[in-house]
Parts: sequence; structure tokens; C-alpha cells
Amino acid sequence: MNCRDKPALRERLAAEYALGTLRGRARERLRRWLRDDPELARGVAAWEARLAPMARAIEPVAPPARVWPKIEQQLNFKKPSSFWKTLGLIASGAAAALIAVAVLLPPQRAGGTASYIAILTDPKTSHPVLVATAERGETVLRVNTLDPAIHVAGRSLELWALPRGGAPRSLGLVSHERGLLKLLAPADQSLGDVPALAVSLEPQGGSPTGQPTGPVLYTGPCVKYW
Amino acid sequence: MAPPAQALDGSALQALLARSALGDRAAFRALYQATAAKLFGVALRILRREDWAEEVLQECYVSVWRHAREYNATRAAPMTWMTSIVRNRCLDWLRRPNPEPLPDEALESIESENPGPLASLEQARDTAALARCLGGLDARQRQAIALAFFDGLSHAELARHLREPLGTVKTWVRRGLARLRNCLELQG
Repeated sequence: MNCRDKPALRERLAAEYALGTLRGRARERLRRWLRDDPELARGVAAWEARLAPMARAIEPVAPPARVWPKIEQQLNFKKPSSFWKTLGLIASGAAAALIAVAVLLPPQRAGGTASYIAILTDPKTSHPVLVATAERGETVLRVNTLDPAIHVAGRSLELWALPRGGAPRSLGLVSHERGLLKLLAPADQSLGDVPALAVSLEPQGGSPTGQPTGPVLYTGPCVKYW
Repeated sequence: MAPPAQALDGSALQALLARSALGDRAAFRALYQATAAKLFGVALRILRREDWAEEVLQECYVSVWRHAREYNATRAAPMTWMTSIVRNRCLDWLRRPNPEPLPDEALESIESENPGPLASLEQARDTAALARCLGGLDARQRQAIALAFFDGLSHAELARHLREPLGTVKTWVRRGLARLRNCLELQG
């Protein structure tokens, strides 16, 4: 059975799933449909949003202190390796790739060398998809798309600087091939304390909020060359 | 030490989720501190057992960490997204293969007057709109929807609790939801 061509039934199932009264096989079946039916998923999300204010009326109860350590344990957070150390490891692992890319990069004009390089990879395939470089004294970031397939029709890819300990800072939108993004300050200031860059999928024209709103698709270390 | 969830608005939670998606554990911890009490309250209300609620809460945060990349801010507010994860996990929990069915006493003990939390729906604009629209439903429709949402009752449990035929209860829920949607769209 399918509900694709029965809008009234779809609407009812979406509402009852969000409310929680859909149970048993009907619930399992709807969950399967949700995976490849974005319109149905939007219907459920709309109902979750409609009913959400009710959840706000529920009295908060502090969970026992033992819960957080259990979460940390289950996620293997216990080892002291922090996010930034992990990035450091990725950076050293990516050293070969960096050198390869540096060799492939267009020759710099005399006296200038790309002093910041970031290579963003697709976590699913580990393939590099985008390279960003900047010379230390300049206010331009050169962005090259290595894999044109990363662009999504009707959406924008937004590039973010992830400063150490601060909120992501937008660097601009990734254009289709090579693009130059204007940095607010010379690279040494704009990227000096930025160990990583990331790309998120945003509505056309970029994030409406100034922070990443869509899924984060690609990340990679931003390395100072000397 | 944990700031209450209300102290952090949606965009702050959104930033914490975005950083969690990038593997930032400190941001994830801050997200937990800001939201755990609210979500534990939701789970406890549905499951009615602290040990179960604790286990579900743990699973849900593990899942939030692992799926943070899939969070889409244009589709749901952070708290709505996480609350849905918790409510769905609670409902799954209640229908595990070795179910301990809700005893009649437990159903009896659920407040029957227009359920508690509804009374405290207030201020914020979307909250006020929902409260107004719920207020416009027939009392039985409102009660059935509230019991399903807050207490996680299925159609069959609603029928037992309200001592009404299953078909009647299903109709209340269905019509109540349809009227709710129309009303919210008019308010929009």
C-alpha cells in the first residue's frame, strides 16, 4: 500500500506520527516511507513544529549526574584527545595531500607563496572536494572546487572559518569553479587562529542566520605553511 | 552550573549543534547542559520510570551527537528536533519486544482533568496560538490530544483511560488534529 497519491491520508498519518498515536506496524511503515519521501518528512516536521509548544509546558527535571559520564563513555570521549588534537592528526595525515596540492596549484606571483591552505574532504569518501588558499598579507581567499558534483541546484554552499573556541564565521559562498572571497582582514589575522574550515549546505544566497543552518558537508584542517 | 534551556535561545542551541556536528565536544557538553533537564522531563512524563527515562536520555544524546550533521535548521528549531528524537525513542521503548504493559493503575493515576501542562502554556507567540487553538477544541478532543502528547498514550490506551470505544477515541484525535491545523493556519 502506498499513500503518495492520497493527500488526506498522508496528512492524517503525518499528524498522528508526530502526536505519537500511530503505533505498531503502521508506525514502522510510515518510518520506512519517511526515508525516501521528503514531502512526507516535511509534513511530519511541520506537525512536530505545530505541537512543539506543548513540550515547552512540561516541567524540566534535572537528570542524575551519572548520565553525562555514561554518554561520554559510550561516545569514547574519555581519551584526552580533543577535537583540535584530532584535527592536528588529520592535518599531519593530510600532509602528503597538502604537498601534492601545493605542487598542483597555479604558480604564485613573485614574492608570494600560499601561506594558508585548507583542504576540505568528503567524510564519506575521504576525497578532497575543495581547496582554499591565501597569502599571509593579502585579503583574498582563493577557493577551488575540485569536485564540481558538490554543487546542489537551488542551494548554496557556504564556507566557514572555525576559530579556536569561537562560533563559526562565514567566509562567503563557494562559487562553481574558482572563486575569490574577500577576507575582512589580511590572512594572518583572518586565518591565524583558525585551525579548520567547513562547508555547509544553505538556502540559496547563504545562511539567513549568520551561523550554519544546514548540514555540514565538508570539513578540513586549515594549515599555515610556514 | 548548567544554564537552563530557556536561557539559551534557538540560535545559540543551533550554533552548539552546528559545532557538535563538527566534532566539538565542549559544544556538545554545553548543549547537554542546556537541554538535558527539559528532555529528561519529557521522557519521564511518557515513561513514568526514572531508570527507563535515564536510559532513553543517554541513547538520545548519543544519537544527537552521531546525527548532528543531519540537523536542518530550516526545517526545525533545535529543541523541536531533539524533543522529537526523545519522544520517538520513548514510544519505541514502550513497545519493546518484552513489553511491560502499562498497568491499569498507572492509567488510572494519569490526571484526568484537562491535563496539567496545558494550563501552563503561555506567553510566547507560538505557544499562545497553540493554547488558543487547543482551547477552541471540544473538551474530549483536547483531552485525547494532550494525553497522547504528554503521556504517550496510544489509541488503545486512550480508549481504556477514557472508557470510550476505540473508534470514538480515534475520531476525536483525528478531528481534533484537523481542527487544530485549521485554527493554527488562521492564526498564522
